[in-house]
Amino acid sequence: MLLAYRLPREPSTPRSGLWRKLRRLGAAQVLDGLAALPLDARNREQLEWLADEVVEAGGEATIWVGELTSAAQERELARSMAEAVAADYRTLIADAEAARLEPPGRRRRTLGRLRRELRRIRSRDYFPPRERELAQQAVEELVALVEEPVG
Amino acid sequence: MRWATRRHCHVDRAACAWLIRRFLDPEAEFVFVDDPDEVPADATPFDMRGVELSHHGGDCSFETFLRRYELADPVLWEIAKVVHEADLADERYDAPEAPGLDVLLRGLSMVRDDEQLLALAGPLFDGLYEYRKRALLLGREPA
Repeated sequence: MLLAYRLPREPSTPRSGLWRKLRRLGAAQVLDGLAALPLDARNREQLEWLADEVVEAGGEATIWVGELTSAAQERELARSMAEAVAADYRTLIADAEAARLEPPGRRRRTLGRLRRELRRIRSRDYFPPRERELAQQAVEELVALVEEPVG
Repeated sequence: MRWATRRHCHVDRAACAWLIRRFLDPEAEFVFVDDPDEVPADATPFDMRGVELSHHGGDCSFETFLRRYELADPVLWEIAKVVHEADLADERYDAPEAPGLDVLLRGLSMVRDDEQLLALAGPLFDGLYEYRKRALLLGREPA
């Protein structure tokens, strides 16, 4: 499904708020003012609320259900969405590896943060890349390290 | 009074229905529709696009109810944070209960119809209210 929108240039707060919320949902920015998400009940509802927010901020927004006529372009869209979450997973894996060298107290707090981050990324992971499994592993390895008795 | 909302209720609508029955209209009757055009003339719509009692300015419908009806009870605002995060997960608030509440209600909606979902969610929100009230009075989480 697609959200087609136009927001006034100023103020910039609604624009950046919308961008942040679309990113959290894992939307692909097809063009400036056109965002795509896989169709399901939750995404549909969330996009509808975003459309209302755009209108309340003085812009225009419509929601469309559509499909690409080219299978190759559809694969490419899925690939670019998978690559975006893969990059988020890679950041998380690097953070988990860096946390191994932290003192135990700090490492425990980092683990809490990384678990929440992993959950957030998974909620927008529609085309799971290889990195998903690796990120899960990296966090689990950190769990084992945190749970080891100190001294 | 009759109140109308979208079919296949989730956390925000369940919380609003509880709020209506407990604080605004004990005799409330709920109608579930597929489209805003189907709202009966004598019913007040909520949590639907384009109506007053819905999402506004980044607030979920539960928060809009609290504002429109000037319900200043701080316990209700504590619940609003949980409902907001369970519904929108935009991290406006820190509400660790939210993912749990989201899963519980999403699961319930898979095995019960809307009428039954609201009936079951009622005591759940009564409990959440009591818990948050005690936490507020104690200044810490009640045991």
